[in-house]
Amino acid sequence: MIVFDLLGMFLSAYMVGFLYYGLYRNITARFQRRIGPTVLQSFYDSIKFFSKEESISHGWMFYLGPVIMATGAVMTLFFIPFFYKSESFSGLSQYGNLFVVLYLMMLGPLGNAMGVGVTGNPFAAMGITRGLTRLFAMELPFYIAVIALMSINHSADIATIAANQPTMNAIEYPLLFIAAMFSFVAMMGQSPFDVVGAPVEVYSGPAAEFSGKFLALLMSQSSIMSFAKLVLMVNLFIGGAEGFLELLGKTFVLFLFVIAFGAMYGRFKTPQSVDFLVKVPTAIAVVGLVLATLGGQ
Amino acid sequence: MRILTLIFPLLTALAVLMISTSQSVWQMDLAVFGFENITVGLKATALSNFFAVLVAFSLFAVSLVSGKQTLSKSFYFLLYLLTWSLLLIVYSSDYLLFFVGWEVMSISTYLLLSYTLSREALVKYVVFAMASAMSLLAAIMILYTGAHSFMYVDAHQAYLALSDTLAVIFVVLMFFAFFVKIGVIGFHYWLVDAYTESHDFFTPYLSAVVSKMAVYALIILLLTVIDISTFSNSWISYTLAIFGLLSSLIATFKAVNENSMKRVLAYSSIAQLGYIVTVLSFADGVSGALYHSLIHTLVKLLLFINVAGIIYVTSKSKFSELGGLIYRMPQSFVMLLIGIIVLAGMPPLGGFASKYLIYNTLLENGNLLILAAMMFASAAAFLYIYKLIYGIYLGQPTSKKLESVKEVPFFFLIPQYIISVILVVLGTVPGILTPYLNTILTELKLQALPFTSVAVLNTETGSYNGLVVISAFALIFIVILFVLLSLKSKVREAKDRFDIAYCGEVPNEATHLHYGFSMGKELKRVGFIGTILKNSSRVFYDFISKQLFAFATVFRKIYSGNLSVNFNIAALFVLALLWWSLK
Repeated sequence: MIVFDLLGMFLSAYMVGFLYYGLYRNITARFQRRIGPTVLQSFYDSIKFFSKEESISHGWMFYLGPVIMATGAVMTLFFIPFFYKSESFSGLSQYGNLFVVLYLMMLGPLGNAMGVGVTGNPFAAMGITRGLTRLFAMELPFYIAVIALMSINHSADIATIAANQPTMNAIEYPLLFIAAMFSFVAMMGQSPFDVVGAPVEVYSGPAAEFSGKFLALLMSQSSIMSFAKLVLMVNLFIGGAEGFLELLGKTFVLFLFVIAFGAMYGRFKTPQSVDFLVKVPTAIAVVGLVLATLGGQ
Repeated sequence: MRILTLIFPLLTALAVLMISTSQSVWQMDLAVFGFENITVGLKATALSNFFAVLVAFSLFAVSLVSGKQTLSKSFYFLLYLLTWSLLLIVYSSDYLLFFVGWEVMSISTYLLLSYTLSREALVKYVVFAMASAMSLLAAIMILYTGAHSFMYVDAHQAYLALSDTLAVIFVVLMFFAFFVKIGVIGFHYWLVDAYTESHDFFTPYLSAVVSKMAVYALIILLLTVIDISTFSNSWISYTLAIFGLLSSLIATFKAVNENSMKRVLAYSSIAQLGYIVTVLSFADGVSGALYHSLIHTLVKLLLFINVAGIIYVTSKSKFSELGGLIYRMPQSFVMLLIGIIVLAGMPPLGGFASKYLIYNTLLENGNLLILAAMMFASAAAFLYIYKLIYGIYLGQPTSKKLESVKEVPFFFLIPQYIISVILVVLGTVPGILTPYLNTILTELKLQALPFTSVAVLNTETGSYNGLVVISAFALIFIVILFVLLSLKSKVREAKDRFDIAYCGEVPNEATHLHYGFSMGKELKRVGFIGTILKNSSRVFYDFISKQLFAFATVFRKIYSGNLSVNFNIAALFVLALLWWSLK
């Protein structure tokens, strides 16, 4: 039954997502020589936010913003198969390929931008502009890497690409992987590309007006989305997975790398991050693409 | 008046319907008029029907809006003349009638623009339109030398008969003519001003169909005259790919920097047509090009009509003077939202289908870097798309007057509703066009798209099921919304528009809270975007015009306007002619 399949995907992503989020806060704290919150702290936070007594609203579009964003995250999750071999946990992936996933990933942020815009808070809109500016820059190296993979495999189907890896794509096409990893760090909202929310530095960012249950919904979707992105990356570059343990192991290694990277570097300014992303990783990706396609022929 | 303005569009639609189902062919030998060996004809092919339907639909949509306007009779007459010329262009089966249609189109557009355009914009338009027409005429004449026929059926033979140099000149002249009409970057100098200043009810039509005529002409040129399937990977396809790509990239970043709504949409038209030009560099890109033409026609009608509505009720056309209209004009807001989702090419709606076809064509042909750049341009487009909706409807109102604005009159909303429904339907059943596209493709001797069901859009590298995507989206959306609404926590409405988190301060009337018009301005700090924004084709055209003036000054020295000098020149000329003829 597809409904149970989807429910399973949703619940596992929800739980693992929050677990990872807790781990992220804990591990980052250790990097900064703090003890940090417990692993389940983020989960408690979200429960608390969901049951907050009062939250402010700016009309119906304000409601729809977070809802569209959450819908985008769940849709993205459903179109990425967890395992390349088995039928279960493949969700809706047979009905759309990688192009669909790449666009679904951007659906949420664009939807939320409407909700943010309607608040009339200029700082929140500023955050959206920073986000959209970073968006196109960070997608460029990732697109090139992904397009190279699609061309090598003659398919835009994620499961096909995941299955067709005698050795991992990350090892076979290291340049593509490195370029995609830069984008991936940005997609996960980690330093040096965390210009959207710019935590602790400026009083702004898309979440400025959201409180209570709206914030809780945004937190939940962000956990789900993080897990979906990790699964996508594992499928594309790290050989996919056959079972839950393998998936968890591979996503965790990837996740650990991303947060370690994020903890290591300071934040770019927005123009700097765009400039860097369209130069260094893009150049690496183009070289990788040329080498990969020449090797294929 | 309302009913009267609808009669002609309905008749046009009926005529197109009758012509398109009848498969009729009409030919005439001009020997009757003393021109030997010249045949002209009209023919209803599947391709021309496709564009004719776009024309008829656009005229209908625009006429629905213009109902209550006080437009003069001559304006309507010219609009109908323009429509007829467009139909002549698509239904002609030879380059002679095509050229007649092209000329009438250019001139009637000029007259329609002359109602509202400033002198400078009008001169720009007419210079470019005439250059385009003359270059087209020259190209047609070159082609005529090949087979002594204007008919499309002989055109390929004629093209092959041309010498190499002539063939190159022919293609360059044709490209120039069509690139000017499409507004490919570098040839777009007239377009932005003309779109911005043209009458609000004419702009949708101008953007939706007049630019599509060049797309139609390009398809005819590439597939029946040049036959690009045999010439792929030649300089012809590279030229198209590079110009299309540059249009998409540069126009996208230019759009971000504009403050006027119609200018943003004008640049967006250039960028969107850039996708079409790029994908036409491959023979099998025709399906994507046609699909995108349809989507672009619909979405630009929707957006320009929406913007016309905003200008009608607020009489403001700049982002810096608008803002915060969402709860005063909720229906218009939802229409614009649908429009921008399609313009962004987002999955649940129709815009994704055409993007999907374009991307898959580029992937199958192995043009990977062009594909990456296209997707990059399409992601960068979110910036101006967000600016469009934020600047008008979101954020804070910039003046007191905006707080008492009412929803636009219903006649603005009717065409928007019709188009939105079509776009949603296309998103749900993207494959519904496949059988029709296949008749066009087989007619052009191209490989047909695989077809399984109306809900699925198939390409060789994969398929996507619109029905599943949109229903999954709707279901998940409803579930999440239901969960959010059923939570026990209370929601308090914001007191007024100043009830926001503002760095611990309390903003008031005097605080600048609308971020709309400066949105994207900071992009010029990014190196390559700054370069794009700083430079303009204006520099080049100013240089050309300066050189022309210098030349004219020298010429004026001889041809000074003095009667006796003129007489002497004329006498010398006659003498020279006599000498030459007697020799």
